[in-house]
Amino acid sequence: MTQQKNIHDTSIIIVGAGFGGLGMAMRLKQEGIDDFVILERAEDVGGAWRDNTYPGVACDVPSHLYSFSYMPKADWSRVFSPGGEIWDYLRDCAQKSGLVPHIHFGAELTKAEWDAEASRWMVETPLGVWRAQYLITATGVLADAHLPDIPGVESFTGDAFHSARWDHSVSIEGKRVGIVGSGASALQILPEMAKTAGEVVMFQRSAPYVVPRPDRAYSEAEKRSFARLPETMDALRSEIFWTGEYMFAQRRAVPTFVAEARDLALGHLAAQVPDEELRKKLTPDYEIGCKRVLIANNYYPAFNQDNVTLETSALASVEGGTAVAVSGNSYDVDVLVFATGFEAPEPPVAHVVHGKDGVKLADQWDQGMQAYDSTAVPGFPNMFMVLGPNTGLGHHTMVFMIEAQVDYILGALDHAKNNKYEVIEATPEAEASYLDGIEARAAGTVWLDGGCKFWYRDPRSDRLTVLWPDFAYAFRDENGTFHPEGYTGTPAAIPAE
Amino acid sequence: MKDTENMAPAMATGVVTRQVEVNGVAVTYHEAGQANTDTAPIVLVHGTSGSTMGHFGFLFPLLAVRHRVISLDLTNPLKGGEKLELEDLEAQVLGVIAETSPTRPVTLLGYSLGAVITASIAAKKPDLIGNLVLLTGWIKTDMMMTLFNRTWHALRKADSPQLDDFTVYAAFGAPFLGSKTFEDMAGGAAMPLDEFVDAQMEMNARIDISELVPQIKATTLIIGCTHDQMVPIHHSRALFGMIDDARYAELASGHAVVFERPAEVVRLVDRFAADPQEYVAGATIPVVKP
Repeated sequence: MTQQKNIHDTSIIIVGAGFGGLGMAMRLKQEGIDDFVILERAEDVGGAWRDNTYPGVACDVPSHLYSFSYMPKADWSRVFSPGGEIWDYLRDCAQKSGLVPHIHFGAELTKAEWDAEASRWMVETPLGVWRAQYLITATGVLADAHLPDIPGVESFTGDAFHSARWDHSVSIEGKRVGIVGSGASALQILPEMAKTAGEVVMFQRSAPYVVPRPDRAYSEAEKRSFARLPETMDALRSEIFWTGEYMFAQRRAVPTFVAEARDLALGHLAAQVPDEELRKKLTPDYEIGCKRVLIANNYYPAFNQDNVTLETSALASVEGGTAVAVSGNSYDVDVLVFATGFEAPEPPVAHVVHGKDGVKLADQWDQGMQAYDSTAVPGFPNMFMVLGPNTGLGHHTMVFMIEAQVDYILGALDHAKNNKYEVIEATPEAEASYLDGIEARAAGTVWLDGGCKFWYRDPRSDRLTVLWPDFAYAFRDENGTFHPEGYTGTPAAIPAE
Repeated sequence: MKDTENMAPAMATGVVTRQVEVNGVAVTYHEAGQANTDTAPIVLVHGTSGSTMGHFGFLFPLLAVRHRVISLDLTNPLKGGEKLELEDLEAQVLGVIAETSPTRPVTLLGYSLGAVITASIAAKKPDLIGNLVLLTGWIKTDMMMTLFNRTWHALRKADSPQLDDFTVYAAFGAPFLGSKTFEDMAGGAAMPLDEFVDAQMEMNARIDISELVPQIKATTLIIGCTHDQMVPIHHSRALFGMIDDARYAELASGHAVVFERPAEVVRLVDRFAADPQEYVAGATIPVVKP
């Protein structure tokens, strides 16, 4: 570590001010821990809900569950609230919990390095260097936009941007718009484009399963009832949670529930798309649950509009103002929207974090990411990851996972403090046995046995590295409390007299 | 919410279905999951008008992920004329246990009428039953249950089209029904009906195992449902008071908990079967607060 004039000392560095980082910091505050900073690369809190401002952005989890249990909100506008409202909620959380003074904006983590001699993490940012005993990464799973390598894209004469970096200065009205991708974001963008654009073409590499979205606005009376009787909000939250858990049976590949889900999705398609030819193109060719099941009421009807075209192959190349599909079909477009998702096989933070002996996390993970209890990595002492490996859910809300991990990390901090440990580190044995457990759980799920290639699995090892392949409750039951037995602890060196 | 009996796909991968003869009647049972040396096999006994598929379509395959699970389909033992007795159905459960786990005590789970059958077995055959799960069970049919039972029989006798409505009204909890539409509930929420169901309903009006329940020595998990209108919650609380080695969980569900909150039941049973002593006798098990 080079000598730095301006080193800021603190106890805990949290990287990221999205759901994960804010959730961690809120609980630290509640526990009376004040000596921490949040380093945020952007200029506001909110994570994915700050970045994704595309027309139609909304969450696929009902709002009364997609919020912190320790910051309930009685006046959510709808069952599935729009993205902007979720962003406002997160800003509110930061304000009300007194987190704002702890947050440093524009502080992108450029390098983090474990200083073994000092037992401290050194974190470099454009704003200077922070030094702390603990490093907690909460950099998100769906944070870094994935842009496919399309030949000729640099020659494109119109406007092009990723859905998570929407360029609101570009007018869509009357334009010819190409949407690349047919995932969760594309699904929400298409109906909005169909309203205002002159023509829309969607490049669909593979059709998604889509089920109805049981959305509606809450009345003023309902909101007041939630505010006056908070226990009714808790009951609703539990109801939504267990309804979500019910969905796990189809991921577990139980035939009756797979059939039930498939019938629901294909029935939705049949009800909304009368044209047989079109319906065929929108019918997936893999088992349901393999990829994320999407929910929308306004997606299929958009294809019935005259100005919307479905291209059933991926975008192959761009030549000036023309987008050429793999099928050979070509479309003249003014705007290209890349709704191509996010880097998922491993978070970019892995390329800038260095543990013991300078080992880069990405190098340690050259066969796919892995962590003990999905939270701590051997060789990276005093570091914890919120939404690390095997925390993704195919059927449920990430907020539940975040809260479980936050409790675990608080337990780790307590454990070190109570035992006067300066350094705690997960053991490789504990990690190996945890990973065996993940493999055992994954067997018999659609992700490993459903015959689908997807980013849930690491392309290098073919292992399930992103998902938690069980009920969500099982994650909290098992990883919601700290396990001291999987760690070594080193007391602070006693200074020589 | 579908009548799973009429659905084509199998209820679990790797399920084996066999029959055993009990008192001259062939009783069907299903087995799935790995034999586990650490924990006892789980035997499931469904409730009135049920079957493995009808009541345990979710529990059976999901519990089989980590346990060996055996579930039988109770079968009409009556030749005609006589009344159904609890012992008739106990014999079928015992027949399946003898066939599938002759030497090893099981974790026996009963739902509704199944809980009455399994409680009775646990009291009479303590050697066979290591652990016991009573899901919405009862001890003695009371006033509210009698009123339901009489009305049910009257509607059934009259072949009334309101019988389905009445059953759904009582089977599901008010909060659950409050968030559903008739479309949601269409196709399968009502009980299947036949002579055997009539006989079960006739017997249900006469249930009284209050002499037997205090003799239960098995490590017991009692699960009651706050919004149960068929077997009101006080019955589960009474069981909790009457059985020595009992722990208790109360779910925010109606009687049809296997449809309303099946994953929550799986969680409790999965953990109990893996470690019956996780909670001490007398403990109330906290529910998940998401």
